Amino acid sequence: MKPPRFLYCDPDTLEEAVALKSQHEFDALVLAGGQSLMPMLNMRLAGPEVLIDINGVTDLQHIGRINGTLEIGAGVRQSVLEAHSEAAVAVPLIAAAMPHIGHIENRHRGTVGGSIAHADAAAELPCTAVTLDAVIVVRSERGERQIAATDFFQGFLTNACEPDELVVAIRYPVTSPTAGSAFTEFARREGDFALASAGAVAEVDADGRFTSVAIGVGSITTKPVRARAIEEALLGRAATSDVIKDAARQIGDAVTLSSDMHATSRYRRHLATTVVTRAVAAAAADAQNRSAS
Amino acid sequence: MTATQEPTAVTHGGTKPAYKYIGSDRKRVEDPRLLVGRGGYVADMKMQGLLHAAILRSPLPHARIASIDTSGAEAIPGVIAVLTGEDCKAHMNPCMNFGPSTISQYPIAVDKVRYVGECVAVVVAESRYVAEDGIEALEVEFDELPAVTNPHAALEPDAALLHDEHGSNLGYERTFEFGDITKALDDAHLVVSDTLHWGRSAGMPMETSGAIARPGTNGVLEVYCNSLNFSYLQFLVAGALRIPSNKLKMQPVAAGGSFGSKFTAHKVPTLAAFLALRTGRPVSYVEDRLDHLMNSDHHASDRYYEARMGFTEDGMITGLDVDVVDDYGAYLQFGVGTHGNALSQATGPYRFRDLRYKLRAALTNKCQQGAYRGFGSEVHNWVLERLVEQGAKKLGLAPEEIRRRNFIQPEEFPYKIPGGNVYDSGNYPEVLDRALSMIDVEHWRREKKRLREEEGRYIGLGIATTQERSVFSSTEFWFWFDEPAFPITSSPESATITIDPAGQFQLLLHCQAMWGNSPETVSTTVLAEEFGVEPESVNVSYADTSRALPGTGPGGSRYTVMVAGAVRGASRKLKKKLIDIAAHSLEVSADDLELVDGRVQVVGAPERSLGIPDLAASAYFFALNLPPGMESGLEEAYTYDHPYTTLPSADRSDLGVFYPIMGHACHIAVMEVDPDTGRCSFLDYVAVHDAGTVVNPKSLGGHVTGGSAQGLGTSLYEELAYDTEGQFNSATFLDYLVPSANEVPPFRIGHVETPSPYTEYGIKGGGEGGRMVTPSVVSAAVDDALAEYGMHVQELPVRPATIVETVQDAIDARQ
Repeated sequence: MKPPRFLYCDPDTLEEAVALKSQHEFDALVLAGGQSLMPMLNMRLAGPEVLIDINGVTDLQHIGRINGTLEIGAGVRQSVLEAHSEAAVAVPLIAAAMPHIGHIENRHRGTVGGSIAHADAAAELPCTAVTLDAVIVVRSERGERQIAATDFFQGFLTNACEPDELVVAIRYPVTSPTAGSAFTEFARREGDFALASAGAVAEVDADGRFTSVAIGVGSITTKPVRARAIEEALLGRAATSDVIKDAARQIGDAVTLSSDMHATSRYRRHLATTVVTRAVAAAAADAQNRSAS
Repeated sequence: MTATQEPTAVTHGGTKPAYKYIGSDRKRVEDPRLLVGRGGYVADMKMQGLLHAAILRSPLPHARIASIDTSGAEAIPGVIAVLTGEDCKAHMNPCMNFGPSTISQYPIAVDKVRYVGECVAVVVAESRYVAEDGIEALEVEFDELPAVTNPHAALEPDAALLHDEHGSNLGYERTFEFGDITKALDDAHLVVSDTLHWGRSAGMPMETSGAIARPGTNGVLEVYCNSLNFSYLQFLVAGALRIPSNKLKMQPVAAGGSFGSKFTAHKVPTLAAFLALRTGRPVSYVEDRLDHLMNSDHHASDRYYEARMGFTEDGMITGLDVDVVDDYGAYLQFGVGTHGNALSQATGPYRFRDLRYKLRAALTNKCQQGAYRGFGSEVHNWVLERLVEQGAKKLGLAPEEIRRRNFIQPEEFPYKIPGGNVYDSGNYPEVLDRALSMIDVEHWRREKKRLREEEGRYIGLGIATTQERSVFSSTEFWFWFDEPAFPITSSPESATITIDPAGQFQLLLHCQAMWGNSPETVSTTVLAEEFGVEPESVNVSYADTSRALPGTGPGGSRYTVMVAGAVRGASRKLKKKLIDIAAHSLEVSADDLELVDGRVQVVGAPERSLGIPDLAASAYFFALNLPPGMESGLEEAYTYDHPYTTLPSADRSDLGVFYPIMGHACHIAVMEVDPDTGRCSFLDYVAVHDAGTVVNPKSLGGHVTGGSAQGLGTSLYEELAYDTEGQFNSATFLDYLVPSANEVPPFRIGHVETPSPYTEYGIKGGGEGGRMVTPSVVSAAVDDALAEYGMHVQELPVRPATIVETVQDAIDARQ
């Protein structure tokens, strides 16, 4: 478990980091918190010529509101985001999802941008990004562009960045104060990658009917996905457990991952239904609490 | 995760001697250095010119090695040597092996690979990085052979052969019958049967196995190693290396855990030694986690059972019939000793007399088995308790009641079980009562009903008991064979106590004792009890093989009992010398002297006394003060042999006494199961153990907690999984799920003490018991929680998918 030889670059500024990525393109991998990349390097599953370590790039470590969005720099440690009270108010789903990411030791090291760029279908932050229609900001020497989360995650550990592009920030639309949020997942052990996960944000009217609902589901296919059919089925319906459970059932059809040692596909279909049901129910309950208070 | 301790109950009529140190709840003496990072592990050792080895592991389960092109690796700067099975064939003998001689093994595969992860070639280089570069540059051509992965299919006549020389994939087969099982089952009011599979798991020490070998002076090869029970087995390593045993010096190095897995882990030191011999330089081979998971020979039992048990109408067990196929993997390093273990307590704590035990050891394209906490007895316990549980259900008896009815009673000891092993002592009703006193079972039974009705939650109770055999004797490894090659009967342990000229104590141990068993705490506690000095003041060190007296090391929960015997024996000899010196100096009869709190004093006149430093000074510097004819110095050694071993009968109708020091335990768990996710969690857990006289409640409690945590891993999480093609799916901790503090409940621990009549101080072994009960308790509790869905655990680990699918099947069937 020792990595092969590589060139190590340690830029201080975003400009330097972007220049290095432009220079080395496919030959370079970006080291952020290293929670996925370091094991891959050590097991020689990744063998980059160049490693661009962005841990020293302070330009990437901001959190703040910009134009109705919460912008989080790619280099922000997950534990910093988890403890950020303004972020928790602006986008409650993030606060709900953060404790599920590995263990606190992982979150002390892992970064927001690292998790987003790694594009693991079982990871929590990509699932929240899809749920909330977040935008991923990427930069190269050619300039900056914004990519919708649903376009950014393309498949198994694959994102929409060009070889010269670096993820610099993620922008979440600020959640309506009357919306409820919930994140539910099941993993065999605390801190493991989820076998199925769901994020939900919903608003309900005075009659207890859904006026808006967004559902993202992780770990059922090669990327996090929106459960749009369920969202449509729920809109205007009463937020009762029977209604939610009935609508959630169709997520089973979206499960494409085949059986593995931790989950048969039949089990994963049931589990996906379970986590979607529970997340939507909890989000609706949260919305009702917010309306009441 | 925390553990709480209930105060100890003493069961032998209140006559337990008043010990000052034994039984006191003291901190471990090993911990200060370990907690500040001064353990001194093998990977921390620095050595001039040290080379590092990395291994190319087979990507295929079964193949002939057609060719290995080493030129690319050899061309890399820093690569010193590349070795293959051809080098082994030319320069060494097969490794030590307690299985059939027709199944031989080398540390590097010779001619064929037989499982994914087997060593194909070794690169030795100036760093581990370069060694791994070398591995990537090797080119190997394999001729693939059919993979044999199903142990039942392996025994079919058309199965591909793993070992041509052996002639079949049936590594071994034997049926023992004691009593008349056919009649016992025919006459039974109820016969329950089950098909059960205990999946592979393994001890996962934080530190993997590792060794450094260095060509030393005078042609001696020095091996520094954290694995292998070296004082018992060193001569076999020397034999494999083709060097005289006095030219191989093995030095034990602190080990970061073993749980049995390092007991006979011989390939790592053998390989490091071979590499040092071939290169003439010091070589380090320390497994990384991939090496360890795939190839450390510590995979444990993987057994498929057809089992039956008979009951009378009032719930008395009439007999047990076991037919087991054990998936041993590609080699049989221990023979079938793990089933000898099962036979040591085959009838559990119960009184029935009729037993049949049929074993077939299957060879498959998987890593071979090694030792793990329980050594195969824990599997049998699970089978036994699964059947008892089923019998109780069918007879309408509470789980505690059926056990109570069948228990061997306290006045029946020593008790000879079918097969011949003897249980030395016990009080099983008291252990059960103690456990029931620590948890309100009736409250939880009401809660289970209420929570189901009011909150839709699923709660289950599990109760299980177990025997915890301890202090193995080696006959269990060979009584399977009618004409064993080496019918060994020894399993001794030694200690040397030295009082230095200043009166300070040195204690030398003679095995690789540092496998997480608190060896220094235990041995210094016994020494303290004998001499009245503080345990923490004693310095402990470990002999290498050039000095070691007979030793067998920690295995089969033997070390505490055996080292206590050795230390006490050496203490008696040394105390006699101290008293003889004092008698001479004080001019009194030795019979009038006693050793109290570190001073030798006249009985009834303690003011006439001499301290140990005074006596030590005489022993070292004032020969003219010694009694005439006494040798100078203060050092005594003692080798303690197994306290109770008898030979198996020639026809094996009686297997003899081989595991007589019998502990006992009862666990009760309250679990909650989520039928929609399969999540299992604990609402309460009580564990009561009887390990005879408790030397240290803290270290014994640690054993119970750790063992139970590992049992929990085997029950719900851990799985060394091979797919049907023979690919290994558990090569990292991403997939091999060791339970963490989040999954392990706080165990509430109680101790009962029924001293052994055969051991010093009445101590019994207690290192494995936790893992011997937890699987039975978890299985029973999960079944109980989901009884309305017909949940019936037949396979470990219980996967969440199995739980959810069982529930869904039941729901589908109702519709």
